[in-house]
Amino acid sequence: MSTSATDNTPATTGSQAPAVSVRGLNKAYGDLEVLRGIDLTVHPGEVVCLIGPSGSGKSTLLRCLNLLEEPQSGDITVSGFDVTDPDIDVDAMRRNVGMVFQQFNLFPHLTVLENCTVSQVKVLKRSKTEAERTAMTNLERVGLAEKAQQRPGQLSGGQQQRVAIARALSMNPDLMLFDEPTSALDPETVGDVLAIMRTLANEGMTMLVVTHEMSFARDVADRVVFMDGGVVVEEGPAREVIGSPKHERTRSFLSRVLNPTKVDAPE
Amino acid sequence: MAMTTRQRAKLSRGIQYAVLILVLIALVVLADWQILYERVFNPAVIADQFPGIITIALKNTLIYTALGFVVGLSLGVILALMKLSSVAPYRWIATLYIEFFRGVPALLVFLALGYGIPLAFGFRFNHYVTVMIALGVVAAAYIAESLRAGLQAVPAGQYEAARSLGMSHTRAMVTIVIPQALRIVLPPLTNEVILLTKDSSLVYLLGMGLAQYELTKFGREGISGAGAGLTPLVAAGICYLIITVPLGLLSRRFETKTDRVKKSS
Repeated sequence: MSTSATDNTPATTGSQAPAVSVRGLNKAYGDLEVLRGIDLTVHPGEVVCLIGPSGSGKSTLLRCLNLLEEPQSGDITVSGFDVTDPDIDVDAMRRNVGMVFQQFNLFPHLTVLENCTVSQVKVLKRSKTEAERTAMTNLERVGLAEKAQQRPGQLSGGQQQRVAIARALSMNPDLMLFDEPTSALDPETVGDVLAIMRTLANEGMTMLVVTHEMSFARDVADRVVFMDGGVVVEEGPAREVIGSPKHERTRSFLSRVLNPTKVDAPE
Repeated sequence: MAMTTRQRAKLSRGIQYAVLILVLIALVVLADWQILYERVFNPAVIADQFPGIITIALKNTLIYTALGFVVGLSLGVILALMKLSSVAPYRWIATLYIEFFRGVPALLVFLALGYGIPLAFGFRFNHYVTVMIALGVVAAAYIAESLRAGLQAVPAGQYEAARSLGMSHTRAMVTIVIPQALRIVLPPLTNEVILLTKDSSLVYLLGMGLAQYELTKFGREGISGAGAGLTPLVAAGICYLIITVPLGLLSRRFETKTDRVKKSS
């Protein structure tokens, strides 16, 4: 909102309809305004990372996109669906949007394979054989095909998150939303999850990622969006925003995140 | 001469064993075993109880319990869903119901249905319907609370993940939330069946024929027989235990199973 960088979208993808388009999005819980006039565009095949301090509204923005949160006002279009239309077929929209949560949210009463097939069978009405084939393909992609018959509880956090990614991919989504996918993980398992996300990005998946992993954002994202206090403060190519931020708030946030041991004078 | 903590603990344990042994010896020496045998656990009287105690009393206790549980569970599910409803009046009605029937003695409900309603309205339910309603409406209050707690114990993320995969509200509840909630409520639900089994003894308040006797009524009639002593009641008590102890074991089995699921999630 506060910079001219808002419309800094890649010209190469300008001809296609955007995968995500957000205009003037507001969201409040009672008196607490969490999102104040957010504009955001994600083009097909693009990887966009949302960064910013906790409480800046990144996760809320992500959750508004597939209506896990109800926005107060603004226009949202997600893979062709007008999300803010009251008559929207929410379930149909969500079938096209994969979501990966911080807490994995695997179904503990189902096996890893069943986690990946249940929605294919119940929602997409695929046959069990077809669903299992798709699930196994995606479990292989995340390197966990041999865990198919185990329960989520028998896996490490990193493995569970990889299954959660495979579960979302099994629905063949147009767009993947990641809500701090590595924040609940042990440091040694973070790398495996990021590696899979990197592969997905290279394969051309459209991804919107809320993350605190600055090196991932710098290396993988096409664009980085910095949010603070419910507004987009700065956005642009990953290397520019992280390497040479224009805005003071971005600079101070990045210096705190990148040098956590350095004690800064308050801005 | 100061004792260490360990020595003191040893001495304390020794004293506790000594007291226990003394009490046991006193019981063995002082009790009149002949009279106890004749009047409390008389094999001849127990033999007289057969086969009725099984074919009539135990059977009816099981039937009454099952009837009460069916009504209690059905009504309990409805009340639990009402209590979680986004429509406030539904929540109020459910809360009122639960507080009322948890708060009044089951005995009172039996008296109201068995005697109050016939007196007030000149109308009497069929015996089994009376039992079914009286046991069911009280059980429903407890079952509703267990179910509500179980549904709320499933993390919100489970529902959100299901919806994010394109499942409808109903599909997410049926396939993802309710199976997990059921595992959580199985132990309290088993407890509820045990309570119901015992509450079915209140049926003895209602007038009924021999064919409808349950364990407590059967035992009560038994002790009025000449020279029967306490034995018929002891026999009835043992029959209750035959039902409730396995249920208790089952409940504990469920509990360890649920723990495993919880730990693994």
